[in-house]
Amino acid sequence: MAEAVGSAKSAPSPSLRTRRLDLSAAVFGIAAAILVFMVVVPLAWIFVGSVHSDVDETLTLSNYVRAFTRSIYLTPIRNSLVLATAAAVVATFFGTVLSWAVSRTDMPGRNAIRMMVFAAFATPSFLGATAWIFLAAPNSGWLNKIWIAVTGAERGPLNIYSMEGAIFVIALYSFPYTFAFASSALELIPSDMERSAALLGARWPRITWRITLPLVRPAILAGALLSFLEAISEFGTPAFLLIPAGKQVITTQLYLFFQYPNRPNLAAAYAVPLLLVTAGLFLLQQRLLKRGRFTSVGGKGGVREPFRLGGWRWPLLGVCLIPTLCALVLPYAALLATSLTRAWGRGPVPGNLTIDWYKWALVENPAARAAIGHSLIYAAAAATIATVIALFTAYVAQRRLVPGARVLAFIAMAPFVVPGIILAIGFFSAYARPPLVLYGTAWMLIVAFATRFLPIAYSGSESALRSIDVELENAARTLGSTTLNTFARITFPLLRRSVVATWLTAFIPSLRELSSAVFLFTPSTAVITNIIFDLSDAGNFEPVSALGVLMMALTFALIALAYRLFGRTVLFSRARG
Amino acid sequence: MSRKTQRIDRRAFLRLGAGALGAAALSPRTLLAAESDDEQKLYAEAKKEGKVVWWTSHYQLSAAEAVRDAFKAKYPGIDVEFIRQTAQVVFQRLSQNLKAGVKEVDVFASTDESHYLKLKSQNVLARYTPLGESNLPKVYRDVDPDKTYHTGAIALLIINYHPSVSAPPQKWTDLLDPKWQGQITLGHPGFSGFVGNWVVAMSDKYGWDYFTKLAKNKPKIGRSIFDTVTDIVSGERKVGAGAENASLESKAKGNPIDIKFPSDDSILCVSPVAILKDAPHPNAGRLFESFFYAKEYSEALAKTFNYPLRSDVPAPSGIPIEKVKYYRNKAERLDKGIPEAIEKWRETFGV
Repeated sequence: MAEAVGSAKSAPSPSLRTRRLDLSAAVFGIAAAILVFMVVVPLAWIFVGSVHSDVDETLTLSNYVRAFTRSIYLTPIRNSLVLATAAAVVATFFGTVLSWAVSRTDMPGRNAIRMMVFAAFATPSFLGATAWIFLAAPNSGWLNKIWIAVTGAERGPLNIYSMEGAIFVIALYSFPYTFAFASSALELIPSDMERSAALLGARWPRITWRITLPLVRPAILAGALLSFLEAISEFGTPAFLLIPAGKQVITTQLYLFFQYPNRPNLAAAYAVPLLLVTAGLFLLQQRLLKRGRFTSVGGKGGVREPFRLGGWRWPLLGVCLIPTLCALVLPYAALLATSLTRAWGRGPVPGNLTIDWYKWALVENPAARAAIGHSLIYAAAAATIATVIALFTAYVAQRRLVPGARVLAFIAMAPFVVPGIILAIGFFSAYARPPLVLYGTAWMLIVAFATRFLPIAYSGSESALRSIDVELENAARTLGSTTLNTFARITFPLLRRSVVATWLTAFIPSLRELSSAVFLFTPSTAVITNIIFDLSDAGNFEPVSALGVLMMALTFALIALAYRLFGRTVLFSRARG
Repeated sequence: MSRKTQRIDRRAFLRLGAGALGAAALSPRTLLAAESDDEQKLYAEAKKEGKVVWWTSHYQLSAAEAVRDAFKAKYPGIDVEFIRQTAQVVFQRLSQNLKAGVKEVDVFASTDESHYLKLKSQNVLARYTPLGESNLPKVYRDVDPDKTYHTGAIALLIINYHPSVSAPPQKWTDLLDPKWQGQITLGHPGFSGFVGNWVVAMSDKYGWDYFTKLAKNKPKIGRSIFDTVTDIVSGERKVGAGAENASLESKAKGNPIDIKFPSDDSILCVSPVAILKDAPHPNAGRLFESFFYAKEYSEALAKTFNYPLRSDVPAPSGIPIEKVKYYRNKAERLDKGIPEAIEKWRETFGV
């Protein structure tokens, strides 16, 4: 692709204009073909499967009848909706409050909070769920034990094995989506309107409610929808917390369809309406975004000034610290303590302490060691693929460069509404058979991860592009620059920071991805999450914790490195003012 | 017996010109000698393939690692790639592979015997008589007369409990006592072959009613049968229907857990092992399967608190398997029984 850009750039004379146009069309045609390969083909396999019998592969609608008439299959759908809605509401609340506090106020510790949100985003919720089992299992949870010791009560108040527990854990790790969307929008809107309101006598709560939040409403909604979809696609946390509670959700039910007796076509039928609902929500979000569309960053600068909160600064900080405490401090302390114990049931007491599990993961267990390497390589490759494709697609769609560009955008966003497990099913059906057998190779996981996180990369690219006024590009085009040249010379340099941020937001979830990896790995391509999942189902919590700690140490080291190399990215940057 | 004596035996045997005597006249010792020769040949072939891919649900991860290490020590130059997952999970992955025509796994080891009936009827298992199968106690030989699968591991399902329990349950029906409400932990038949085995055995012994009553005690339901061990050592639950291997291993690590062989029978699970017809490393697969009947394999199992296959390796529980009062499901019964059990379980327990 770089080659194509280069050759277009060096084209010598304006008489070649038509050829240049063809070249752009070709480049974008390739992007389209890749999207079809990554998204359309796997999803098409799901639809095909859903109308075929599991028994004899004949054409039938009986899968749909079976999936949506039996109460044991309907209850999980209700559970999933409750889980995802509640998690999205909680996540949106915290995400919005935190993003506002960090971007628009003079609250102390804003940068620390920003780092913490990013750390929560990097933490997979299944790891959080594991840690919260140590903390809040009804009988053995450490917090419950402390409660009992302090109050003398017979039972502790917390039960993580419950719908509330699962909502809590999922919200803890999905609020960064709303945060990221809302804060990047909050940082882009200039505060002239707010200042006008202040001059007219409004105080900060009223200004925030009437001016600031409505301005970023599309971003908040986009974040809320992402939280909802994350929650409904979540597999690890429900498997860890809700199965013991006697509750199935859609993803765990799908997983069961893939157990013996294996009914992949019934699973496909069960997945299809979910896909339609999530697709519908996505379209709704698009409409909302269109209504609230604004361009506020142009060639002109804007001044942003934080609200002075006075005495309210500290209570606000208190609220912002709740997710920090629950998503990071407590879980990481619990994981670290467990990973350093010989037998975690006895607690972190002298005589029970050991570093053997780290030695096991890094030295003694070749599978674990290999998995760590795979995770890093696959996630980096997936993030690169996703970022490149997302940026091009978003550019084409945003600037309406080719007919049908919106279709491309839709395709790029489609995996957004596809739970990891379903995507994995589609990938398996599509690429575990000739003509293209990816299964058993690293590409199976890389392409699946890239597809799965393409929408995140796409949203990032799209909102970044949206914030750049098209007038800059128009100026370049008026002066005779081609589409590609404009992109390379004007758009891309303006986006550089966002590109790094986009890459990271695709890399991090790829590194911690479980729900699709669990279907697509083979022993020689296992990633860390596969090893963790394999270990967790036999209750080996000490090595699970050690591997989890290692995985997160790696993640944070890489983020720190990226931070040093590329400076403040969108997610890290301080409010400019 | 060392290799050296075997070779001398063989040479002596050849010197006698007894080749013409025919198989009927072979003594057990010369049989072993011939076997060792076969073994060397197989090893040489397997070495060319370089590795064996093994999917197992037989025992804990630590046991699988011990088996891998023992194999690699005995046969340097052959790598063992393995995954350990619950039975239904490995079976599902294999089914997917077979359907997709992906040839990846050499040796398949599930705890659900009925999987092998399915695979056999699909004609995807290789017919092979592993070397040294005669080292097995008779009851475990010839699980399949057609030699497409063989005994790979044995395990007992028992009651496990936290030592703080003063009067642990003595038999399976004791778990129905309301005093255990909120105190029981179980695995899930939809994931675990062991749990499936246990559910079929219990419903055949006591009827499904056993589970409707058990559900009233609100057990915590995990996935693997080994989850029960975690729940007990953490103090999350007091008693469970667990496997004896992981419970004893955890106890040896110093965790608060103990086991009880129930007076109304421990459940014996005989877990088969098979080589796939399309195995990418057929010779390494054969060598690896034959290794299951070597002493080193049984020792690796015993070391990780599993019942050894061979009777010349002492059982870690101290009680040889033939002394245990056990019940064993028939493979044909499991074939229908486990899917049924999963469905009914779903209705009774909600998951």
